[in-house]
Amino acid sequence: MTRHSVMITPDSVMVNGKPLAHKENGAALLTELYRTYVGDYPKFFKMDTLCKLGFVASELLLQAEGEPRFVPREDRAVILFNRNASLQADTAYQATIQDPDNFFPSPAAFVYTLPNIVTGEIAIRNKYYGETSFFVMENDDASVISRQLVNAFQDPKTLSILNGWVDCFDEDHFEAHLFILDKLPTYDILEF
Amino acid sequence: MDELIYTLKQQIIEALNLEDMTPEDIDENASLFGEGLGLDSIDALELIVLMEKNYGIKLKDPAQGKEIFKSVAVMADFISKNRTK
Repeated sequence: MTRHSVMITPDSVMVNGKPLAHKENGAALLTELYRTYVGDYPKFFKMDTLCKLGFVASELLLQAEGEPRFVPREDRAVILFNRNASLQADTAYQATIQDPDNFFPSPAAFVYTLPNIVTGEIAIRNKYYGETSFFVMENDDASVISRQLVNAFQDPKTLSILNGWVDCFDEDHFEAHLFILDKLPTYDILEF
Repeated sequence: MDELIYTLKQQIIEALNLEDMTPEDIDENASLFGEGLGLDSIDALELIVLMEKNYGIKLKDPAQGKEIFKSVAVMADFISKNRTK
């Protein structure tokens, strides 16, 4: 059973199917959402766009959920999926090492050259000690996603999963669609 | 030295993405790590890159960073004495 959802694209934000008003678009939209709805996590400004996207989407989702925040828990997993992995951060890092005469590898860019940094940021922020995984796949394949989520529930400790699609090509092309999925007593196939 | 301190503050803000901060917000005598600016280990690496890129200073011994990065003022003093560009 899914309850609560958030969808963010460069020019739209939906929480539980209802549009959220905003002024900015693209990467500036993510900063606007952070300043308006979060504001207490300055590390946000050090994140790459993929992380910012996953972070603000998870914040809106968890605020919509309304449960107590920042309480250590092992019963919630964070499992995300995308197509472009950490391409934007990879490109930014490559730019710092492209020119042999101007070769200054950026540590701050380098730390985001893995997509699963997003799941880690969400887990750290919320004190989630359950499974965290980030799967990279060619298409938003619901059957593959369902299988991974069902597998995650094989761990008896996992009772809910913050999950969904968090993909970023660049600052003007990204998409997040996050859900909270609760474990049901019995099921074999999840429907999206 | 005042000009170097101001420039250094600008470079730190830019390199470390310290949004909402201006050079005036940074106390040049405050600790960069811990309770001061609250920088982390990745920031320390960025500061090492900043010194090499902008001032031609290569830190051969990472332990040097502990002393050099005590504050912006200490950093500026070290740069003024060791810069090659």
